[in-house]
Amino acid sequence: MMDLHGYGWMLWEGAVMTLVVAVLAMTLGCVLGLVGAVAKLSVRSGLRRAADLYTTVVRGVPELVLILLVYYGVPTVAQDLAETWGEPVVFDLDPFIAGVLTLGFIYGAFATEVFRGAFLSVPRGQIEAASSLGMRPGLAFRKILFPQMLRYALPGLGNVWLVLLKATALVSVIQLEDLMRKAQIAAGATREPFTFYFSASLLFLGLTVVSLYAIRRGERWAERGLR
Amino acid sequence: MATPALVVENLRKSFGALEVLKGVSLVADRGDVIALIGASGSGKSTFLRCINLLEMPDSGTIRVAGEAVRVERFGAARLPAADRRQIDRIRTHLGMVFQSFNLWSHMTVLENVIEAPVHVLKRPKSDAVALAMLLLEKVGIADKARHYPAHLSGGQQQRAAIARALAMEPDVLLFDEPTSALDPELVNEVFQVMRGLAAERRTMIVVTHEMGFAREIATEVVFLHRGVVEERGPPAEVFGDPKSARCRQFLSAMP
Ligand SMILES: Nc1ncnc2c1ncn2[C@@H]1O[C@H](COP(=O)(O)OP(=O)(O)OP(=O)(O)O)[C@@H](O)[C@H]1O
Ligand SMILES: [Mg+2]
Repeated sequence: MMDLHGYGWMLWEGAVMTLVVAVLAMTLGCVLGLVGAVAKLSVRSGLRRAADLYTTVVRGVPELVLILLVYYGVPTVAQDLAETWGEPVVFDLDPFIAGVLTLGFIYGAFATEVFRGAFLSVPRGQIEAASSLGMRPGLAFRKILFPQMLRYALPGLGNVWLVLLKATALVSVIQLEDLMRKAQIAAGATREPFTFYFSASLLFLGLTVVSLYAIRRGERWAERGLR
Repeated sequence: MATPALVVENLRKSFGALEVLKGVSLVADRGDVIALIGASGSGKSTFLRCINLLEMPDSGTIRVAGEAVRVERFGAARLPAADRRQIDRIRTHLGMVFQSFNLWSHMTVLENVIEAPVHVLKRPKSDAVALAMLLLEKVGIADKARHYPAHLSGGQQQRAAIARALAMEPDVLLFDEPTSALDPELVNEVFQVMRGLAAERRTMIVVTHEMGFAREIATEVVFLHRGVVEERGPPAEVFGDPKSARCRQFLSAMP
C-alpha cells in the first residue's frame, strides 16, 4: 500500500469531511425538498409561487456562484447592515456551515422536483380509501401518502445524492478541508498532481460505489409488497 | 319505528355545468340491500361518493344512523373544524368498497384491516388484530393475512377490502361495482361473501352491472337514469315488469 509521501491519511480525512458535508447537505436538502414539494402542490398560490421561484433560481444560477455568493456575499451584506445600525461587527461565516447550507439549499431544489413527482405518482384511490375510513388528512398523510410517496421518490433521491456527493468538490473553493482541497494541497506540496488527483478520484468513486449499493438496498425496502 | 340506517333526500351534484345528480332520494332501513343500477354515466358512483362525502354534494339531506350531515355548509371554502370532524365521524359509519379495491399496497392484508380501527377508532391493537383475523376468516383469506395485496388474486384483494371496511363495524356498506375489475371466474367468490353479509342483515347499497346478482340479493332495486331515479321497487317488479320505458330498454340491452 502506498503511503503517498505521508499524505494518505490527509486524503482520508478529506474523504470523511466530504462525506459529512454531503450527508448533512442531503438531510437539509430532503427537508427543503419536502417543504418545497408540499408548497408546490398546495392550493395556495402564494406558496406555489414561492416554491417555483426557489427551484427556478437554483436551476438558473451555477452552483459555484451560489457557494461564493453565500460565503463571501452574506457576511459582507450582514456587516454593512450592522454598520448602518451603528454597530460595527466582524461577521464571518464558517466554511463548513456555508458549504452545508449552500449545498443543502441547491439540492433541496432538485429534491423538491423529485418529491413533487413522487407525491403525484401515488394513485388517488389510496388516499380515497383512507378518507373513506375516516382518517383525517394528517393521519392519511403520515400513514399512507408519505410512505407510498417514498417508494416513488427513492430512485430520484438516489440520483440527487450521487450528484451532490460530487458537487461537494466545489466547496474546496471556500477553503473547506474536503477531499478535493486536501488533494490540491498534497498535489501542490509534492508536485505530483496525477498521484493525488487520481487518488481523490478513486476515493470519490469508492463513495459512489458504496452509495449505489445502499441505494439499491433502500429501493428494495421501499418496494416491499410490490413484487 | 326504528331510525333508518341511511336517509338521502333530494341530493344534487354538478361538476361545472354538468348536473350529474338531479335530486336523488333513498331510504335504507336496517338490513336493506339496495341495488343501484343504470347505464354508464348515469351518476351511480357519484351518488355513492356523495353519501360518504368523497364528493361534496351541492344540496340535499343525508342522515346516517339518525345524524344529519350539514350538507348546506359545504359551499364554504374552508370548513369549520366541527364540520370536518362530522365528516370523519360519518365516514366511520359508512364502509366503502371500491371497484379497484384500493388496498394500501405498502401494508400487508392484516395491516390494511387494522389500520383504521387502531388509528381512527383508537382500539387496542390486540383487539383490532383479533377482530381482523375473525373477519379475514369470514371472507376466507385468513391464510393471506401477512401477504401484501400485490401477491393476492383480484378476488382475494376485494375480499380483503371488504374485511377492511367491516373492521370499522359500519352501519351501512357501500359497494361501487365490486366485481367489475375481476376476471369472470373470480366474481363469484366476492358475491359469495356479499351473500353472507346480506344473510347477516347488514345494510348495503350495491352498485352493480350484474343483474342476476342484483335480483337475487336486493330487497329494493333503484334504476338511475341521467341523475334521476326512473324506477324503484322490489326486484321481482323492476326486473319482471318495469314500468318505465327507459328501464325496460336498459334491462333488455343487458346480456
Ligand atoms: N370528478 C368529476 N369531474 C367531472 N365530471 C365527473 C367527475 N366524476 C364524474 N363525472 C361525470 O359525472 C357523470 C356520472 O359519472 P359516474 O361515475 O357517477 O357514473 P356511473 O353511473 O358510476 O358510471 P359507470 O357505470 O361508468 O361507473 C359522468 O358523465 C362523469 O363523466
Ligand atoms: Mg361508476
